[in-house]
Amino acid sequence: MSAVAMPSERDAVPGAAEPILVVDRIVKRFDTPDGTLTAVDDVSLSIKPGEFFGVIGPSGCGKSTLFNVIGGLLDGYDGAVRVGGETVRGPHPAIGMIFQEESTFPWRSVIDNVAFPLEIAGMPKAERYARAGHFVSLVGLNGFERRFPAELSGGMRQRVSMARTLAAEPKIMLMDEPFASLDEQTRLLLGDKVLQIQQELKQTTLLITHNITEAVQLSDRIMVMTYRPGKVKRIVDIDLPRPRTSEIVSSEAFGRYVAQIWNDLREEATRGLLDDESRKLRAGGPS
Amino acid sequence: MAETGRLTAPARARRWVQAHPVTTLRIVIIVAVLLVWEGLARSGWLYRDVVPSWVAIGRALVVTLSDATFYWHLYTTFYEIGWAMVIGGVSGLAVGILLGGSKLMQRAYEPLLYYLGPCPKIIFFPVMIMWFGVGPGSKIAMGAISCFFPVALNVAGGMREIDKVLIRVGRSFRANTWQMVTKVYMPAMRHPIINGVRLGLGVCLIGTLLAETKLSNAGVGFLVIQSYTLFNMPHMYSLLIVLFVIAIGANALIGKLGGLDQIRRS
Amino acid sequence: MSGPIPFSKRRYFPAILGLGSCAGAVLLVELLVYVELLNRFIIPPPSDVVAAFPRVILEEHVLSRFMLTAGEALAASVLVTIFGVAGGVLLYQFNLLRLATETWVAAIAAAPLVLMYPLYLVIFGRNATTIVMMGFTAGLAPIILKTLEGLAGTRRVLINVGRSFNLTPSQQFWKILFPAALPTIFVGMRLGLIFALINIVGVEYLINFGGLGQLINELAERFDIAGTYAAICFVIVVSIIVFMLTERLERWLRPAG
Repeated sequence: MSAVAMPSERDAVPGAAEPILVVDRIVKRFDTPDGTLTAVDDVSLSIKPGEFFGVIGPSGCGKSTLFNVIGGLLDGYDGAVRVGGETVRGPHPAIGMIFQEESTFPWRSVIDNVAFPLEIAGMPKAERYARAGHFVSLVGLNGFERRFPAELSGGMRQRVSMARTLAAEPKIMLMDEPFASLDEQTRLLLGDKVLQIQQELKQTTLLITHNITEAVQLSDRIMVMTYRPGKVKRIVDIDLPRPRTSEIVSSEAFGRYVAQIWNDLREEATRGLLDDESRKLRAGGPS
Repeated sequence: MAETGRLTAPARARRWVQAHPVTTLRIVIIVAVLLVWEGLARSGWLYRDVVPSWVAIGRALVVTLSDATFYWHLYTTFYEIGWAMVIGGVSGLAVGILLGGSKLMQRAYEPLLYYLGPCPKIIFFPVMIMWFGVGPGSKIAMGAISCFFPVALNVAGGMREIDKVLIRVGRSFRANTWQMVTKVYMPAMRHPIINGVRLGLGVCLIGTLLAETKLSNAGVGFLVIQSYTLFNMPHMYSLLIVLFVIAIGANALIGKLGGLDQIRRS
Repeated sequence: MSGPIPFSKRRYFPAILGLGSCAGAVLLVELLVYVELLNRFIIPPPSDVVAAFPRVILEEHVLSRFMLTAGEALAASVLVTIFGVAGGVLLYQFNLLRLATETWVAAIAAAPLVLMYPLYLVIFGRNATTIVMMGFTAGLAPIILKTLEGLAGTRRVLINVGRSFNLTPSQQFWKILFPAALPTIFVGMRLGLIFALINIVGVEYLINFGGLGQLINELAERFDIAGTYAAICFVIVVSIIVFMLTERLERWLRPAG
């Protein structure tokens, strides 16, 4: 499908090389009116080139904080994030981010949205449109280049965001619940799209999610986080064959992984739920 | 009113009316207004010339538009409005960005603007005369004061309403400050900015022209008050028509340019 | 429910900063006039302006002027409300009429109508009628548009609820459409009142007749500089109070939700 040559560093084989992303003992605290809240507590992980790494946890476990710390959008934390041995201070060119919220620029057409990072980098016009066009077709939006986000469905808009991030050719792609606002069918199909792109580009990816099926379907390894403070509860190797599609969801091994992770997660989610209820009770009713 | 069934009009006309009911109604309304107006003008019930005949107004319009001195006065007014828009617009934009960018500034100063905004601005005119004299300076000041408030308040509001995730996208691609302003902040704020300018131009026009009617020797506002003093009613009507056409036209043009009528790209 | 004590301090800080810097600016002007960097015949020292307040209030019949302006504004806004709401309902009920004239009404709302005041002077004479009619003219188009917006914005499902109960057209209007549109209509009424007030004070000043607007004109023509500044401050304070009151009133009248 792809006609444009991809940079060679993407061809690295998983498991062979040095870790490309190292998160070293991150602690992030926030000051709130009710005192200090530890959102992320002593989280370490390392990701090898070409690996698909999932982070799963209940809402409120500090997943998004971790995402913003690795992406360089948050500072004032203890510990370090290193990309290829280099410490991250502020947004790093090797890291691309896909946000949970709908994040396409409404005033730019599909192709102009995808060309945005290339424009920022100062690439000449003809070249950046050629490259943007390649990534538009990679996410399967051929024919929609001149449309505006308002004319697209939610799933299509999220694909535009994905193409935009991929167009910057990051070494690592961070995704923060990219499918959270989509319906179940779109979510599965988009998961297939991510798998297909992942296999095509050997794109190193860190996916943050609270959806177990999604995490197991896509990841090579999954880190389960605890609820408040967000610590590492367990890291699970997902030993399922690749290439995968959404059909894998019905296999027996898949079910075992889901059950195992759900077991870890249930405890944390219950704790989160109780905490949430007692907080609302104290606040005088549901908000 | 649009029913033509009882008229013995030819079938073709009737079909046209049925196909274009809105246009027909518009024509009917306009004709009715003109007829009532003309009837009033000829009845002699009102003071002489308070409601002049359309023929007289039309003639005055032609005279006005073919008079070179009118264009000199129009130029004077445009000159004042132009400077007022530049001064009021730029300072409004700057203050708006300041207020929109900082929570503290917003909470400290926005209430002042918000409550001063709806005050009648023309009452500052005597002070503006003391500060800037009776010439164009005081009119420019009036226009600038008028247009400052809607621009500042719209820009501040627009800046706060920018979708925060778009700012994070820009930062994640390492856009520098200039790129953030030109490629993220400005496009994201284009609707509130243009709307502020549109509202600002409206009140700027009023501020400048009212100042001209109060005390001046040039400008269209001066012509209006002069026609009042000379009791030349057809001339006054022709001037008001020209002013309204300019004001409504400019308003529609800015709306169109800014795509305010397009929801597609919003 | 608010946090511990340090936070309540922070809550008033912005307001203190805002008013404080205003006071600072006034003091600075006082100082600059005092050291004669500013000409006191152009910018009087703020202390003179403050000293002029009692004089302006006592000798210039401020109360009766205020009542006159308030009466004019009230008359104009009653007229605006009656005709504006009726106009909006009319346009909503007759869709053809709406299609034909809504853009016209919007255009009129954007036109500088107050410039017609010399015309009104000729038609109605130099009296309160001119001023009330000017306020009425300026406020009419916005409230028509707001009423129409409110009625047309009634949620489809509410209309269907009414239809499912077999309401007559008049019941449908009074029980469903009008209550649903009421919050927007209140916004329109408030706009109408503010428009009327701005234009009334403005025209009073311009034609040198009647209430608070004329007061400013008279003091300026007498070259009572401190008095002019004091009168302007007074009018600003009055308009801010009216503006706040209408805001309160609107919030109080508007049903929750």
